[in-house]
Amino acid sequence: MKSDLKNLDELSRREFVASAAKACLGVGLLPMAGSYVHTPAQALQPGTRPAKARHLIYLYMSAGMSHMDTFAPNTDADKDSYQGPVSPISTSADGVFLSENLPETAKHMHNAAIIRTMMTSQGAHMQGTYLMHTSYQMRGTISHPTFGSWISKMSGPINSTIPMNVAINGRIGSSGFLESKYGPLPIGNPNAGLANSKAADYLDQTRFDGRLAMAQKMNASFLGTYDQKQVRAYTDLYNDAVKLMRSEDLKAFDVASEPDAMKDLYGRSAFGQGCLLARRLVENKVRYIEVNRGGWDTHSNNFEAVANNCADLDKGLSALLLDLEMRGLLEDTMIVLVSEFGRTPRINGGNGRDHWPYGFSAFLAGGGVKGGTVYGKMDKVGRNPVEGKFVDPAGLNATIGYNMGLPLNDVQYSPSGRPFKVAHDGEPLLDVLV
Amino acid sequence: MASCRPIWASISLLLCSKLFAVEPFRTFTASAGQAFTARVLSYEGQTFYLEAKDKKLYPVPYNQLSSSDQSYLRELSQKGKLPIGDPRKLSSKESPKENGEEVSTSESSMDEPENIPQDGPRLKAPPKKKIKLRKGSFFAYRPIKLGQDPNLAVEAKESGMPVEGQPIDFSNHVLPILEDRCFSCHQEPYDKNGRTIQPKAGLALNTYELVMKGNLDNTVVTAGDVADSYLHEVLTLDEDDDMFMPPKGGPLKPEQVDIIKRWIEEGAKLSAGGATVADASNGISFHDHIFPIIEDRCLDCHGEPYVKNGRTIHPKAGLALDSYEAVLKGNLDGEIIDRGDHEESTLFVVITLDPDDSEIMPPKGDPLTAEEIELFKQWIDEGAKEYPSDNFDKPKEDKVAVALTSVADAKVPLVDLLGKRLSKPSKTQIEVASKTGALVTPLSVKHNMIRAEFSSGPNLIEDDAVRALSGIQNNISHLDLSRTKVTNSAIGNVSKMKHLTWLGLRNTEINDQAVKKIKNLQFLRYLNLSGTKVTDGAIKDLTQMKDLEEIYLWNSKISEKGVESLRSALPNTKVVF
Repeated sequence: MKSDLKNLDELSRREFVASAAKACLGVGLLPMAGSYVHTPAQALQPGTRPAKARHLIYLYMSAGMSHMDTFAPNTDADKDSYQGPVSPISTSADGVFLSENLPETAKHMHNAAIIRTMMTSQGAHMQGTYLMHTSYQMRGTISHPTFGSWISKMSGPINSTIPMNVAINGRIGSSGFLESKYGPLPIGNPNAGLANSKAADYLDQTRFDGRLAMAQKMNASFLGTYDQKQVRAYTDLYNDAVKLMRSEDLKAFDVASEPDAMKDLYGRSAFGQGCLLARRLVENKVRYIEVNRGGWDTHSNNFEAVANNCADLDKGLSALLLDLEMRGLLEDTMIVLVSEFGRTPRINGGNGRDHWPYGFSAFLAGGGVKGGTVYGKMDKVGRNPVEGKFVDPAGLNATIGYNMGLPLNDVQYSPSGRPFKVAHDGEPLLDVLV
Repeated sequence: MASCRPIWASISLLLCSKLFAVEPFRTFTASAGQAFTARVLSYEGQTFYLEAKDKKLYPVPYNQLSSSDQSYLRELSQKGKLPIGDPRKLSSKESPKENGEEVSTSESSMDEPENIPQDGPRLKAPPKKKIKLRKGSFFAYRPIKLGQDPNLAVEAKESGMPVEGQPIDFSNHVLPILEDRCFSCHQEPYDKNGRTIQPKAGLALNTYELVMKGNLDNTVVTAGDVADSYLHEVLTLDEDDDMFMPPKGGPLKPEQVDIIKRWIEEGAKLSAGGATVADASNGISFHDHIFPIIEDRCLDCHGEPYVKNGRTIHPKAGLALDSYEAVLKGNLDGEIIDRGDHEESTLFVVITLDPDDSEIMPPKGDPLTAEEIELFKQWIDEGAKEYPSDNFDKPKEDKVAVALTSVADAKVPLVDLLGKRLSKPSKTQIEVASKTGALVTPLSVKHNMIRAEFSSGPNLIEDDAVRALSGIQNNISHLDLSRTKVTNSAIGNVSKMKHLTWLGLRNTEINDQAVKKIKNLQFLRYLNLSGTKVTDGAIKDLTQMKDLEEIYLWNSKISEKGVESLRSALPNTKVVF
């Protein structure tokens, strides 16, 4: 109830019109429909640094991926009680080892870097996820924008017809105190395409146009009396929604049109198809795409569960890296894979691993990333770094932001006047960037 | 001048009957050395009225006096002890103080540039109605161009109407109309009864620059395009329309609307024919063209050192601009003029920065006008001459050769090198290019290279969109035509983009003919031909592109064999197949 009331407060005129349009025209507007109402030519001012990457594919391993069984096998650790049965394999980059669960990804290591000394201050899923996405700790007094929302806000759209921030397989976080148009557009199922973007079946072209014309007729006298920008924006909203409905860009969301071979390459899992959709969206110049993959909370029976998860992960991730490279898109796209925290290096009684905020891994690849790099190394119990320093979520986000040319020191103010920055006060880790 | 007399220490002080005490007699010394005894009565502008003992009145320019006299006079005027105006006229007025109030604030601060209010609202009342001068009055004199019928011309001037066949002049023809019918609502912020009155719709029409600037919504004038000029549109709307202008006092006369229409059609220029202030046909010179601008806009901060309240005020940034030598000398950071190359000249760079940039000069007031900037540009390019007759040998260098040799060390990115010498494309050029759906964005703040891409609805993009880019073709470094409907014929336009470094043709219908056209793009480093109809027939042309760093051929019609031969011909190129 409380949240409902909150929503009422925030119901802007645009949202009102969106609901009205849904009711009158039989179409649902995208939650992001406002994004292109304002200015078609939002100036994309270059930053002081040129952006090395223009798109970000953020692969989020929800629920805490076991780093030791994926991107950071620890050869110093005790085999029985720590590392377990998973052994390291060599990769396309000299001296870089991944776990045997990721044989395909290992072939792309020359395009990727790994930070093995990630550290977070949060040991619980929700708080950790929030911190990783926003660079700020969860507070009762404010809702922080996710990193994707920051990118949308600061970089602006390249393709003005479709949304610039898309979350596949579930949405995490929101645009926070930024305008809601920067927030993620959720796609629940990558194979289903974009929900509510088609006219209803019973509504043929003639009837649709008739309804639209009637709506415009009803608006006409009001528009005649108050011919102002804000009033005209209502009409623009309809027009933009219709533009999107009929746009070829909408096909970007249509994974079904990919050839079967391509679908198989990515794997028929939700994650694999999510990666395929992410590639399609990058082709259509969407700024930020997040693909979620849950099921990493391996408190028991860790090794079997991780191996299963990695089958999907390895297929989707390697296909994504390969496909982007073949299309010549990899140098414009940054790929980040991270989790809210890692899992205990010491194997617990149930053959599982528990939450562990020290020394987990972040995988970075693509444009601007120094390929074949590993930053940091943890000691044999996985508690302290023996090489490199701890990197916190803000530091990771600062690294990504730096690579994408975002103004890290730019201060944005919440409605109550509190100052916030895209990556909090994080220091970019330049060791993993070109 | 008056005779030379000793100073009398005690002179009886006469008290003025009104507000101002009469100042005592003292010896004034002219900067040339002559001295005379007099007392100061009042001042007007930079002229002080001194009364000699024989009651004779001498108007003396401020800068003709010695510095001690200057500080004495300055102190008096700053303390408000001196009336303003010609004393002969003042004597007839009731209260000179009131009359002088407004002027004194600006005049007394002549040595304190910091105090001049240049930012924020101009605190001045709306201009009074124009004084109508009697026909034939001497003051109504206006210069008339040679060869014109004087009677016709005078009539035209007086009615604000242009002479038949003569181009429209903004100040003479357009501004009077705006002044008469638009200023009451659309004028720069001014102070009225202590409240700042903002222009309606945020649109001020006081000056040429403001008219061309428009408001936050948009520009109101598009040079050469009446249909796209909102200023003209609102005048021609139906009179019942809410947006019809002017809202009060009836519509403009048809001939007035016609003037505005013609002015826009002729290119919306400041002056008829677009001539600049001083005649620049013999070349730009420091004395005739540049110094007047510097004097007006720069010397407040960059003048010679002076003493204020006992402290020496040095020019800001250690940079004086008060003489030709000083301008050429620059400051400790280096020279500010690179003779013959305006883009390398710091002076030119700082006056052309974005108005929001903290480094822009002048920091206060409006940026220099386009004409003034053009003068600086020409002046520097012509060798920054002091007088038009001076000679300057422009250093001859092959720009392309410079770029190429520097590429070898590879420390500076190629795009930065290429972009360094290009000028910024104009707003109109970018608008023309964007009209067909291109997203045109600058690549860096450091230079003027541009990325052009067709990201929204590429399936609707055809050859004419590429043709529309020709206005900015030299500035384009990155061009993405992926998934568009362009054909080989558009590639002809692409081949003219000589600074292209990045070309995406992914998933287009182009074939071997297109490759033939682009093989001479010498700076091309990235070429994406994946998903095109390019076949092995293009390999011969591709092998000639030795500087390519990456080439993408996946999903094209090229065979494995063709790729093999390409790889062996271009060992340093990353060939993705």
